[in-house]
Amino acid sequence: MKLDPRTKLFMIFVVSIIVMMSATTPLLWAIRLAITLIPILLLVFEKKYAVALRFLLAYGTALVLTLFFLSSESEGIVSSLLIGYCGIVVQFMPALITAWYVVRTTKIGEFMSCMQKMHVPDGIAVSLAVVMRFFPTIKEEYSSINDAMRMRGVMLGGGNVIKMVEFRMIPLLFSCVNIGEELSAAAITRGLGGDVKRSSVVELRLGAADYLLMTLLAAATVIFVVFKYFL
Amino acid sequence: MSIVELENINFQYRGSKDGSLVNVNLNIEEGQTVLLCGASGSGKTSIIRLINGLIPHYYSGELAGEVTVAGHDIKQTELHELAGTVGTVFQNPRSQFFSVDTDGEIVFGPENIGLEPKEIKSRMNDVVAEMNLDEILGRSIFDLSGGQKQRIACASVAALLPKIILLDEPSSNLDFDSIELLRGIITEWKRQGKTIVISEHRLWYLKDVADRVIYVENGRLAKEWSGEEFTSLKEDEVKKYKLRPIVLEEELIRQIRGDAASSVCEIQSAIELKDFYFSYKRRPYLLVKKKFKESDGDLLNLNIPELKLPQGKVIGLVGPNGTGKSTFLRCLCGLEGDCKGRIVSDGVTYKGRQRLKICYMVMQDVNHQLFTDSVKSEVMLSMKEEDDKRCDELLNRLGLIEYKDIHPMALSGGQKQRVAIASALASDAKILLFDEPTSGLDYSHMEKVAELLQQLANAGATVIVSTHDPELISECCDFVLGLKHGKVVYLKDNKRER
Amino acid sequence: MENKSNKLKAKDFITIGIFTAILFAVEFAFGMLGYIHPFIVASYVVILPLASGIPMMLFYTKVEKFGMITIVSVLMAIIMFVGGMGYLGAPLIIISGLVADLIAKSGKYKSFKKTVLSFGVFNLWICANYFPILITADAYRQDLIDGGYSAEYVENLFLAINVKTIGILVVLAFAFGCLGAVIGKAAVKKHFEKAGIV
Repeated sequence: MKLDPRTKLFMIFVVSIIVMMSATTPLLWAIRLAITLIPILLLVFEKKYAVALRFLLAYGTALVLTLFFLSSESEGIVSSLLIGYCGIVVQFMPALITAWYVVRTTKIGEFMSCMQKMHVPDGIAVSLAVVMRFFPTIKEEYSSINDAMRMRGVMLGGGNVIKMVEFRMIPLLFSCVNIGEELSAAAITRGLGGDVKRSSVVELRLGAADYLLMTLLAAATVIFVVFKYFL
Repeated sequence: MSIVELENINFQYRGSKDGSLVNVNLNIEEGQTVLLCGASGSGKTSIIRLINGLIPHYYSGELAGEVTVAGHDIKQTELHELAGTVGTVFQNPRSQFFSVDTDGEIVFGPENIGLEPKEIKSRMNDVVAEMNLDEILGRSIFDLSGGQKQRIACASVAALLPKIILLDEPSSNLDFDSIELLRGIITEWKRQGKTIVISEHRLWYLKDVADRVIYVENGRLAKEWSGEEFTSLKEDEVKKYKLRPIVLEEELIRQIRGDAASSVCEIQSAIELKDFYFSYKRRPYLLVKKKFKESDGDLLNLNIPELKLPQGKVIGLVGPNGTGKSTFLRCLCGLEGDCKGRIVSDGVTYKGRQRLKICYMVMQDVNHQLFTDSVKSEVMLSMKEEDDKRCDELLNRLGLIEYKDIHPMALSGGQKQRVAIASALASDAKILLFDEPTSGLDYSHMEKVAELLQQLANAGATVIVSTHDPELISECCDFVLGLKHGKVVYLKDNKRER
Repeated sequence: MENKSNKLKAKDFITIGIFTAILFAVEFAFGMLGYIHPFIVASYVVILPLASGIPMMLFYTKVEKFGMITIVSVLMAIIMFVGGMGYLGAPLIIISGLVADLIAKSGKYKSFKKTVLSFGVFNLWICANYFPILITADAYRQDLIDGGYSAEYVENLFLAINVKTIGILVVLAFAFGCLGAVIGKAAVKKHFEKAGIV
């Protein structure tokens, strides 16, 4: 299912808004649920079954716990820990799932083209693209550094909190700086940063699926707001 | 007609003598393939950077002389203006790519210069056809092997249709088969009439490809041969220049590809490995981590029920990329917690975390394992009890004593490696593992590493070195262990002349 | 002899992107601790500046052109929005970034004192997280209770974060920002300057 990045951004916007307003009645909860299920469904369309399942389970469990087992009367440490944890999951997961879906399914080229269409300045588009491209790299480098720490037995920095942070942060920064240098050189020698306006192989166009989804989302938002504040 | 002209070049990087150039004069005609060889730091990379403009626009330093590339005065031309004229393939596949997906990466260049989508698509199709990239289209670059990444990098550069293509040690991280593919790409470019300049340590794959071979020494163009002259150089002449061999023996090739008859030789005093099974794939809904068994068969990335390795020797671990060499090393030293293999040495069995204690791995990217701000503290970090004298003694042995207080990250690649080795020694590990220690090293540095590995073995450690480097294997490996698809294919006595 | 222009170029944008990614990774890692107890949410103003001081101090030495901090703030605001953490705080984030940029610029990005102050101001963005708690206080309180948070949790949260304490939190963000800068600068000196990278 090919969605335009703008539709995906709109989806994030809608999810953010709905999540910001808390759900008090069953109808509102239903809308919230629907909003959360949409990205999960989309993930399934993209064949990312494992991830979709994991999200579903996590959100489902947290939701069930929050609604049926914990309540405003709960006291005690375990309860409040659980409440806190479930609270975050219920609150942040919908947007997180949506964000995950968007980042995973949007190619950098499409993304930059989308930014261009939305008249975002080129520089910011480049930086944003690099942010997206760099997350997996940070993960890889950090994982490698972690392995090295395990091997040398310095995971806890010898009991020193400062060293713990230092041993993780410093090699990571050195690595990122090095990679950054090579990345820049390779990008600039391939023409990045010229005065010419960037073109795009992928021609972004809003299709039927986009309009359908956007309408659905907009409708959900409107219903939510109306029922929450006016009825 | 010279398409590249370097006139009276004198260059020095800001703050460092390495890589500087002295009185360099070089004319390259269109369509020529030039190979630059020589020791690390001799200036080969600087020459490449002058041609693609990274010097002076990206790397600063003092530059005197004129550089003209395809009619452009490099000093006056912005880097992005050169994009359609000069393309560069860099050494490290994993840090060159800007996109996360392969398709996006190939069209990155053409998009940057604002070509029409139709034109871009047509170029992409051409490049994909030329390089047989169909199977790796539409995938995440993070999932590709080193060789595949490098091919995408080549495609990405080729899509800009540059007249001149530069390659800076492009084969460093590649295995044998990938290097053959790379050779194919370069040959195709040559056929298309492109001007190619390659800086390299590994020379064998460019035999019969280079028209001119230039030996760079201490910043000067010290010697030049024509392609034929170079190919007919005798072995001892090549050694005189401290260059890696031009011709690879068949035997060696088969060895590094892990293609040899299946056989496991008898070992006297041995370290035994038992039950090393491991797989990267996990079934998604299983919450309980499953214990790997031999019966998992094809699912396993590592499948070694039992293996006896000779103690106190240097063992070369070979096989194509992706066959399980790194997995083997990681499981052996205990980094993969889910691999429950056992090591038996001198009657003692080591399981789980204990393996971390008796093994030490020097990783391919040494930068990931340097944590402190001085060589001395780095070595002391590995010691269970800090011992100044022992530390100094180790540093002396490895020729690092004068760098005692220097920050490890300020050292050269070879020196950093020695620091990692010193740390390994300080940790009293009995099994030392090395992951591709000589990729990207020139001949003399490789020799030094070989010598060190031998010293380590002579001191009693069992050294396992995973490598694609045929010269390293001949120099120091007592045994060769071949893996394929995670299984042991052979273990041979290397019978080298000592 | 390169023209050192003050305009941000492709190389700078890439550097900005890389450090924003690092910044966000650090903040995400520490931020997750937050909901164990509401007091930790309030203590973000202490933890985050200290943790992000090191990478940011390195960043300050890398680009040294106007716009570097502002763009990081803009990106952070976008990322927070995309990550579902709301958009109410965006103006605060961007403004503190802009002011931080101006302060650093006035020291030509080289003055130590100005850099410390700049980072202090930059860290005010952390308070953007608290906006919903403040601005729509009563409604938010009701929302939380209806949403299933325990009365105890809500009480604690509002004890830590309310109109009275927000002033303190802002000051803390700034103060620990400065401290983080000092610590970060020391780390940069100890490692990156010593290694010759800076």
